[in-house]
Amino acid sequence: MSAEKRRKSVQELEEPVVKLDIDYSKVDTEPEKERPMGREHLAARAMMPEKQLFEFAEYHAQDAERIGYSNYSYWKSVWANFLRKKAALVMAIVFFALFIFTFIAPMISKYDAHNLRVETKLAFTYPNREFWFGTDNLGRDYWSQVWTATRTSIILSVSVSLGQIFVGVIIGLIWGYVRKLDRFFTELYNFIDNIPTIIYMTLIALMIGKSTLVMGIAMIAFYWLGTARNVRNLVFMYRDREYNLASRCLGTRLGRILSKNIFPYLVSVIILRLALSIPGIIAYETTLSYLGLLDVSTPSLGILLRNSRSYFLDYPYLLIFPAAIVSLITITFYLVGNAFSDACDPRNHV
Amino acid sequence: MSEVSRLNAVDFEARAKQVLSQLPILTAKEVEVTFSLRGQKLTAIRRASLELYEGETLAIVGESGSGKSVFTKCFVGMLDKNGSITHGSIEYDGMDLTQLTEKDWLKVRGRKIAMVTQDPMTSLNPLKTVGKQIQESVELHQGLRGKAAKAEAIRMLEAVGIPEPERRYHQYPHEFSGGMRQRVVIAIAVACKPQILICDEPTTALDVTIQAQILDLIRKLQREQHMTIIYITHDLGVVANVADRVAVMYAGQVIEIGMANEIFFDPWHPYTWALLSALPQLGVKGEKLPAIDGTPPNLFNKIKGDAFAPRNKHALNIDFLEEPPMYDVTATHQVKAWLRDPRAPKVEQPSAIKLLEKQDGRSQGTDPNAYHPHLDPNREPLIEVKNMQVTFGSGRKKFVAVDDVNFTIFKGETFALVGESGSGKTTIGRALVRINPITAGDVYLKGNKINGKISKQQDINVIRSCQMIFQDPMASLNERAKVDYIVSEGLLNYHLYKDEKDRQDKVQNALEEVGLLPEFSSRFPHEFSGGQRQRIGIARALIMQPEFIVADEPISALDVSIRAQVLNLLNDLKKKRGLTYMFIAHDLSVVRFISDRIAVIHKGRIVELAEAEELFLHPLHPYTQALLSAVPNPNPYLERTKKLLVYDPSVHDYSVDKPVWEEILPGHFIYGNAPELDGYRKALNI
Repeated sequence: MSAEKRRKSVQELEEPVVKLDIDYSKVDTEPEKERPMGREHLAARAMMPEKQLFEFAEYHAQDAERIGYSNYSYWKSVWANFLRKKAALVMAIVFFALFIFTFIAPMISKYDAHNLRVETKLAFTYPNREFWFGTDNLGRDYWSQVWTATRTSIILSVSVSLGQIFVGVIIGLIWGYVRKLDRFFTELYNFIDNIPTIIYMTLIALMIGKSTLVMGIAMIAFYWLGTARNVRNLVFMYRDREYNLASRCLGTRLGRILSKNIFPYLVSVIILRLALSIPGIIAYETTLSYLGLLDVSTPSLGILLRNSRSYFLDYPYLLIFPAAIVSLITITFYLVGNAFSDACDPRNHV
Repeated sequence: MSEVSRLNAVDFEARAKQVLSQLPILTAKEVEVTFSLRGQKLTAIRRASLELYEGETLAIVGESGSGKSVFTKCFVGMLDKNGSITHGSIEYDGMDLTQLTEKDWLKVRGRKIAMVTQDPMTSLNPLKTVGKQIQESVELHQGLRGKAAKAEAIRMLEAVGIPEPERRYHQYPHEFSGGMRQRVVIAIAVACKPQILICDEPTTALDVTIQAQILDLIRKLQREQHMTIIYITHDLGVVANVADRVAVMYAGQVIEIGMANEIFFDPWHPYTWALLSALPQLGVKGEKLPAIDGTPPNLFNKIKGDAFAPRNKHALNIDFLEEPPMYDVTATHQVKAWLRDPRAPKVEQPSAIKLLEKQDGRSQGTDPNAYHPHLDPNREPLIEVKNMQVTFGSGRKKFVAVDDVNFTIFKGETFALVGESGSGKTTIGRALVRINPITAGDVYLKGNKINGKISKQQDINVIRSCQMIFQDPMASLNERAKVDYIVSEGLLNYHLYKDEKDRQDKVQNALEEVGLLPEFSSRFPHEFSGGQRQRIGIARALIMQPEFIVADEPISALDVSIRAQVLNLLNDLKKKRGLTYMFIAHDLSVVRFISDRIAVIHKGRIVELAEAEELFLHPLHPYTQALLSAVPNPNPYLERTKKLLVYDPSVHDYSVDKPVWEEILPGHFIYGNAPELDGYRKALNI
């Protein structure tokens, strides 16, 4: 049957034929009036008699335009997604409890970690009522030392980590985005990266002296390099996207492009790097203290681990306590970092 | 109807008879596919049914997300891991394909049912020679070994139209152009002599002239090997070219299916009407295209009634409540629309549909009162480009992207720049908004030079007056910023607002102007569909109150139903604000509807420039003619009989006579040397 014939057969029926042409110049310009939406709308239709069901419905351009989800907030979604990761959440809570406890522990302990007397008679006492974690090779209370060391190590590693991320991200962003500076920063990176860190740590320690603050700064000065290079490589992925061209077209300044167009894309990776560098810094601090580059008067986990190394076959408790804490911190930051960086990725927010 | 069309009409009726007399070779019944995505269930295919008959080409048309790809992936057992067929059956060769194990699939996939995918850049292994990759397929599926397999691979290369197959056999994919690679992918698929070949948008990533060649190739191979082809596409012009039958998909269902002529000239689903009438080819210049508002539904939600109802301007009340059943229009033509129910009002198809049969793709008839920009004595130049050259890289790697380009864009006009990928059209656009620096030549805005070193005030002035709209709405918005920030970025840069409230008002106005709800300003871009995102991009440019906008392929990444929205919007804004556009495109049919003048660019040089209708009536340059012949036309009668012209740059001999940029007719410029120009004049009878 040809098209014409068929059309005719439709027309032959007695009912009038409705013309469906719409004047498109008039459509979708009138403002929308208040009217029932959603469920009410459907309910009203459900009660229609059959005849009315087959009548033309009113057309609302704005219904067609409405989109799926609403009330979306980036940080709320990040938080909600993070809360879904139970293991990370539990570890985070345990870690915070531990950190708070490092402030409480010295108060309830019988000895002050900074004023311990050497009592060779009491050396290598196993944990008992008097010495909760036993004593070290010089007969000093281990409980107070471990908790003070934990506090120092956490504060040191977190601040070094934050510091290196801050420096590394800023330099990495500029390094990656500004083509003209790429050469300069690459050479600078090669220069610093080729000096063995131990040498330059030793130099700093010899020149400025041993102190936790100095070591912290020295570690930042070394750690930012890796972060910067990592960030630079990530920036390459986003640098030539069309939205950056749009920003250039609008005359957006460098600072705003970096902070608004590039940085938000890197948040999840940066958080992961931040979290993972904390255990790394604790481990590094152990190396430094092994070389004697750390100020021994303030106990840190690194120093305790170094000291206990020589005796741990005979007195395992000396190693177990600090090692357990280091492990706990490492696992916590690994899990929390991964969970949080996943949560920060908006592709996971539906 | 011309004689040619009549022949084709008969052809379709013969094919319809053939279809009715056969049993289907593949039957999909009520297939439902669900994906689980981050704990949510997405029903991608909602009980779709389909029958495939031997020897035919069935085109499946639909927007992105309509499920056309997912549906056909079920036929080759290539659903993604998180998806599964939860209902229905697919019968083929006495088997139910939904029940096959991975081991069973090895006997079917590739051997009986093969697939050609969209992107030729990623579907070949870059580390193996092209010949080896075809040979692998030959060895695996035809059981040939060694020399015989190699000979067969070379024969396949030849069969898909690759010159010098012996030499090409030893080359790697990167030595092939996009079109050539797609030919290789087709060779691999066809080497197993499959009964059914599924082509999933095989030409979407290719240029129009290459696309036309690939379509010809697929048709030739089908004839030679008696294959049945399922062709997935969103381009109705391509459908008209290849299809015997057409299935239209929307929101995971087949909503209308029939012979190609029935779907194009006698469709009955309102969605098919909307799709066809939104084609720019049918638009009348200066009038609105009948666009479809909104976006396809979110398949995470349960859909009640007809999925198209909220966007349907001809919806019945029942469309919102109950899903329509399939109604027969003819024995070969089924439609899923309540309008065909006996209780529904009797209607006639919209008049735009009837235009389709009359439209012939060449001339829209010359209107004697038409506006001819070149005859207007009052026109003032807005942008002048003089001897522009843009190069990338330096030294040995230097690449001249744009060379010696001259043109003037006048105030209030839409100037189109048409060319294939790599022709330098985007480079010119970006050079005008100063993203790409120019190496030689000058650009003037209202007579003031804007390239090179200019004063700060002038710089801000240029930024405010020249803005750009980008091609890919997915990449051109900052996903991590709210719409509010994205739209007001320009304002923030130069503090173009009095206070916070003023800024917000301006954002709201800009959003309203592009047809978005003001409440969208607090949302993030990923919540929007392509068309809405493109409009956000337009709002971002508009807020600077520009006079001149470079629109870089603003609709090529959009779905057919969305394109009309954006084209209408651009035209409205032009009228309302007196904007001037430079519209960059690769598709001449779209350009004809929207632009006043068209420049055709080839390999970094503009080869022809004329008023839109003039260019379509008298295309002179062989490249323009080739482009025009390749443009797919949404009319199956014409499209199936058209003659394809192939442009060969070696026809130009510029060794003795140097070519010049000549105004051959008032307002019609062409690039050629003296003998060529004489030839063009002869063709024009002047």
